Amino acid sequence: MLHKLLATVKKEVLLLLRDKVGLSILFIMPMVLIFVMTLVQDSAFKTMNEKGIPVVFIDNDKDSLGIQIERGLKANDLCYLSDSIDGKPASVETAQKAVQEGKFLVGIVIPKGATEAIRKNVTELVNQTLNGEDSAKHKSAGTTDSVEITILIDPVAKKSFLISMTSNLREFISEVKTKIMFQTFSEQVAEIIPDKQNAPTNSYQKSQIIKYKELYASKSEDKIVPNAVQHNVPAWTIFAMFFIAIPLSSSILKEKNEGSVFRLHTMPTPYLLLVNGKIIVYVIVCLIQFVLMLSVGQIFLPMLGLPALVLGNSIAGIMLLTGATAFAATGYGVMVGTLASTEHQAAIMGSLSILLLSALGGIWVPSYVMPEVMRNISAWSPLNWSLEGFYKLFLRGGHVSDVLGETLKLLLFFLATMTVTSIANRKKRTV
Amino acid sequence: MSNTPIIEIEQLTKTFRHATEPAVKGISFAINRNEIFGLLGPNGAGKTTTISILCGLFPPTSGKVMINGQDFQTHSTEIRQMIGIVPQDIALYPTLNARENLEFYGSMYGLYGRELRNSINDWLNKLGLTDAAKRKLSTYSGGMKRRVNLIAGVLHKPSILFLDEPTVGVDVHSRNVIIQHLKEINAQGTTIIYTSHHMEEAETFCTRVSIIDQGKILTQGTPAELINNHPGAPNLETVFLNLTKRKLRD
Repeated sequence: MLHKLLATVKKEVLLLLRDKVGLSILFIMPMVLIFVMTLVQDSAFKTMNEKGIPVVFIDNDKDSLGIQIERGLKANDLCYLSDSIDGKPASVETAQKAVQEGKFLVGIVIPKGATEAIRKNVTELVNQTLNGEDSAKHKSAGTTDSVEITILIDPVAKKSFLISMTSNLREFISEVKTKIMFQTFSEQVAEIIPDKQNAPTNSYQKSQIIKYKELYASKSEDKIVPNAVQHNVPAWTIFAMFFIAIPLSSSILKEKNEGSVFRLHTMPTPYLLLVNGKIIVYVIVCLIQFVLMLSVGQIFLPMLGLPALVLGNSIAGIMLLTGATAFAATGYGVMVGTLASTEHQAAIMGSLSILLLSALGGIWVPSYVMPEVMRNISAWSPLNWSLEGFYKLFLRGGHVSDVLGETLKLLLFFLATMTVTSIANRKKRTV
Repeated sequence: MSNTPIIEIEQLTKTFRHATEPAVKGISFAINRNEIFGLLGPNGAGKTTTISILCGLFPPTSGKVMINGQDFQTHSTEIRQMIGIVPQDIALYPTLNARENLEFYGSMYGLYGRELRNSINDWLNKLGLTDAAKRKLSTYSGGMKRRVNLIAGVLHKPSILFLDEPTVGVDVHSRNVIIQHLKEINAQGTTIIYTSHHMEEAETFCTRVSIIDQGKILTQGTPAELINNHPGAPNLETVFLNLTKRKLRD
């Protein structure tokens, strides 16, 4: 039986080596995919970070609020600020036109007297507080003026950019408001308690009460930094491994169409052995794909100025999860090849189902941003199990024990595909 | 030629799923050891269905099939080991060369090592393919492909060889070579079951023929007996046309 298995493996290797298109689908296209996707995503973030979103800024206030917002936005990498359009100072009308034409993604208009209005409001509030007046009653009397900052938005601007931008604006406004409030309080307190007259009113600026510290919750001692490479290389590698379904199913159907299966079914060799020969070869192909993809992440992407892929702490975990993913992908290919009746059918069924499974699995869009219903569906995609496993290893510094669940799920998926294949084969032969 | 049957078929019926009529309707016959038995009939007569059942490709709907005294249900592997098949379509891998194809198919019959190599070399030499053995099959002519197709079915020296139109679409030279070697194989003890539309070839090649149409056997005997039983018929082709009513078949 071993001779028969080896002969099947040899035949599969020869068929694969002579199928140039199949080889390019298996090895070259996924590598190109990783290059392109990682570079595109990385450069998209770089563009945002290095140059920023083009923003036209009109400061009619010329006081603390306008100055503070301008200073804050200029210091922020998120946007590139300009106060003129085509060399002329920007006005509300010209800014609206420029945003409409797509010259700027966002326009910010600070109204005249905005700081003064804030100051007035704050002073009133402070006075009310110190004098024990009811602020709600005061508000209803309509004496407080609200400040309206206009944000002009290009309809093509992504919601996520706008959310970042408006949250930044809110932060600056809140800071200005707090600062004014602090100053007013200090002045009022100084009037009430003359001993404190020489107290510094700019103490607020000097102090930073709350500090932020970003710390990635990873088990790794190497301090893995999440970036486009760490996210993209495992995602697109899994995608490429599952894309093996197309050449694999096509090879099964070619054998049917060329009549080889007819002859093979009359031979004293179980059909399962022939399928096993295919599985062995394609699992090896998946493993080679994986090594190539990792080499892209570790060697070639850094040559283009991208960060190198960090593999985490568990080579054993990577091997285990890769093996399970390879079996799951190969089993899926065999199942598609058995269920489809023609090569055309297999190509469509294979490619569409993998695109669907990858979309659901969080390859294109992270599953944590999906709505709850989709997140629940996503948990059933084998690509999601594999991706979650690799994220645990590559980003969270996980070990073998952390990916046992994902590995088991992938191996069970392989067994399920083999069961479906076996049933479908038996059904097709019962003519 | 021995009178002991190597294949026995009794009341064989096959109705395919979703078909309104059976493809084979209760046929019975026996094939003796070392015979060259011709199963002749127009398109859709039930020849390929009968051969497919005899090769174990699918089971009959009803009836009994015994190969060398054994049936497929209990002795599938043993029966498959003793049969060889040369299908009508070229059932080979076009991107592999002749030697690679034959190594694979020979291995599937349990041959390996020197035995496999010697058998391949011997047959390639006999059928004039040694020089072309390393060329991809896709570069072969129709006749050359037919010869490799034949070798793939006989490498393991089967006791029973099924030939489904083995010479269809080949030139006279290739056909003569194929027929000559099939006769040699038969002389060495292999029973041959042969289907063809080529009546002249069947008349000279077969020791006994059965004419089948619409799933039923119309007549059976040696070619000479069939010609004698049909007065005025100069050859097997006329007998065939008389029995099958000269209608065009799909």
